[in-house]
Amino acid sequence: MREISRVARNLGGKFAVRQTGPLESSMKNSSSIARRWQWLPALLVLLMSLPCTIAIAQDDEPEDVIALEDDDLACLKCHDDPSLETKLESGETLSLHISAKDFIGSMHNENSCADCHYEIDIDNHGQGQSTISSKRELGVSMGDSCRDCHKKKYREYDDSVHARLIAEGSTKAPMCADCHNPHTVTSWEIAEPAAAMPCGKCHEEIFKAAALDVHGLARGNKENPAPVCSGCHQAHGVKAASLGSGLKDTCLDCHDDAAEKHKLWLPNAERHFDTISCPVCHAPNANRRVNLRLFQGVGKDQQQLLEKTGVPQFVKRTEAADQQGEGLNDRELLKLLKQYTNDAEVKTVVRGRLEVSSGIDAHQLADKSEAISDCKICHQAGAEPFQSVILTVAGPDGRPIRHQVKKEVLNSAFSIDSVHGFYVLGSTRIKIFDYLLVLVVIGMTGGLVAHMIARWLFRRARERSAAKANQDSGSKN
Amino acid sequence: MRKIYIHPLPIRIWHWLNAFGIILLILTGLQIRYTGLFDVISFRNAVILHNWVGFLVGANFLLWLLFYLFSKRISVYQPELNSKKYFAAMFRQVYFYAYGILRGEANPYRVTPAAKFNPMQAMTYQIVMLLLLPMQFYTGVLLWDATGFAGQIDMLGGIRVISTIHVLLSIAFIGFLMSHLYLITLGHSFFAHSKGMVTGYEEVEDETKPKETTSFRVDRDSP
Repeated sequence: MREISRVARNLGGKFAVRQTGPLESSMKNSSSIARRWQWLPALLVLLMSLPCTIAIAQDDEPEDVIALEDDDLACLKCHDDPSLETKLESGETLSLHISAKDFIGSMHNENSCADCHYEIDIDNHGQGQSTISSKRELGVSMGDSCRDCHKKKYREYDDSVHARLIAEGSTKAPMCADCHNPHTVTSWEIAEPAAAMPCGKCHEEIFKAAALDVHGLARGNKENPAPVCSGCHQAHGVKAASLGSGLKDTCLDCHDDAAEKHKLWLPNAERHFDTISCPVCHAPNANRRVNLRLFQGVGKDQQQLLEKTGVPQFVKRTEAADQQGEGLNDRELLKLLKQYTNDAEVKTVVRGRLEVSSGIDAHQLADKSEAISDCKICHQAGAEPFQSVILTVAGPDGRPIRHQVKKEVLNSAFSIDSVHGFYVLGSTRIKIFDYLLVLVVIGMTGGLVAHMIARWLFRRARERSAAKANQDSGSKN
Repeated sequence: MRKIYIHPLPIRIWHWLNAFGIILLILTGLQIRYTGLFDVISFRNAVILHNWVGFLVGANFLLWLLFYLFSKRISVYQPELNSKKYFAAMFRQVYFYAYGILRGEANPYRVTPAAKFNPMQAMTYQIVMLLLLPMQFYTGVLLWDATGFAGQIDMLGGIRVISTIHVLLSIAFIGFLMSHLYLITLGHSFFAHSKGMVTGYEEVEDETKPKETTSFRVDRDSP
């Protein structure tokens, strides 16, 4: 039997092969910590036997050398073959190729195969038909292996929109291996961040847009690197960006003087920060809309309404309330809120927020010199951001559930109650008060002009009474 | 005609600052609400000016309040508690402006330093100065820093309630200002009343005979 061992430089991915000890055919589970310093004797052996080493593409001295266990080498003996694949029950073809070169260059190079694939029965491995039903099923089953070491990351992931989608039965939401190939995963310190971002696999349009916005274009800047996807969205604990206060706090993490700088020129800056998402002004070409969000409770206990799992109340109620199917009108919205309030016995209100219409719009951030600073864009009747209004609750999977609302709702007198937490000077003014103002001015002008006319008409009567009074006083004297 | 001193200097200063302030607040308020319909100044400048003038009018209100709190002239704001007398006097005054003035009848109310307001004025100014203006100032302050006062705004029913009160009151002020500007021209000459607010002296008719239609104010007229 041929005996092989491989020793490789970690970063370069170049590796050397030399003859050494016997090949063992069984896999055993060994601790990666215990092997952490295992490269040291391997290095010494390598150095001592340098003259007789068959070097392959090895020009300089290795600085950080990784030795693979014999067990692992046994696996790679077969799996380092690019043509190795198997047919799954689902009909998919699963490549079984593990590139030894890539694996040695990966972050997992100190792990043995059996650390993750401990369920493999080595005696019967590779014999007969694969028992894996589909790639998805493989991904699900291997997740537990990741959890064994990456407990903290897994906790974050469990709270993410991706994990919730999987819990809801999604077959598309990503699991560990969908983003991280465990056999090739490299350190953030050496990976080109944007290229290593797997988000584009599903969020392709957003990914493309983001590459061209102010952050995307600044990614190459070594001194002041701009964030990639996970910089804002968190790789593992990712949440729906349009819920809560969105990613405002994330923006402020880097742009920490933004709040203070806005206060210098923007009246009521804090209110603007509370109710407007950053891209509304900083993505000047984006489509904007008003997002009316259902909240329950008052004061500090107020919480965004969560759609109940299994009982799709929001969808049912909004569809029932929206009789024309063209979006809720002012009365229908008020009725819906009262229904929620009565049902939960907690005051249900709507809080408005100005946001961009889609993820693609949110990733068109421009240089700050192009940001919207003209108040008129929002503060006048018929302003563009107020032409689209939507009602939102947080869905059980962590994503928003929406229903269209008629834009006239914002200018209706009913909004004093229904949309009571959202008011924008100029654009969401209540129309009936405009008529009232006109009525008061016309009524007052009419009344005063009528009084003036009456005085003019009575001028003769006044003259007569003055003359009479003079006559009276004259005769008295 | 004889001249009586009825508008002391602090009140004249307060009045003209207030007049100037209220007019600016109405104009900037209209600009804020109707940006796009007309753009005399930018929305942002209108908001900033509106805020500043609002606080000045608020401070000026304190000048008015302090003056009256420490002056005997507070009697001009004392309400008539006898409703029979009150309504009779009010009716006479309304009748005068609606009809008597056309016939050339004399104003039933005689101005004195201790009671310079006729019943209509007394009622209007009590409401405006003690209720509407403070309410307008309070709602304005809440809207000025909607985040800082979020607790109070929520307690009062939300920002739309506050804004609605502010807008309705401003419509009331516009109505008040229009009638005020007209009524001050109805003295014995066009500028008689406005001149009085500059010099402090109002010209009143000599009392040659006791008037039958004198108001309740005369009863407590100080010599």
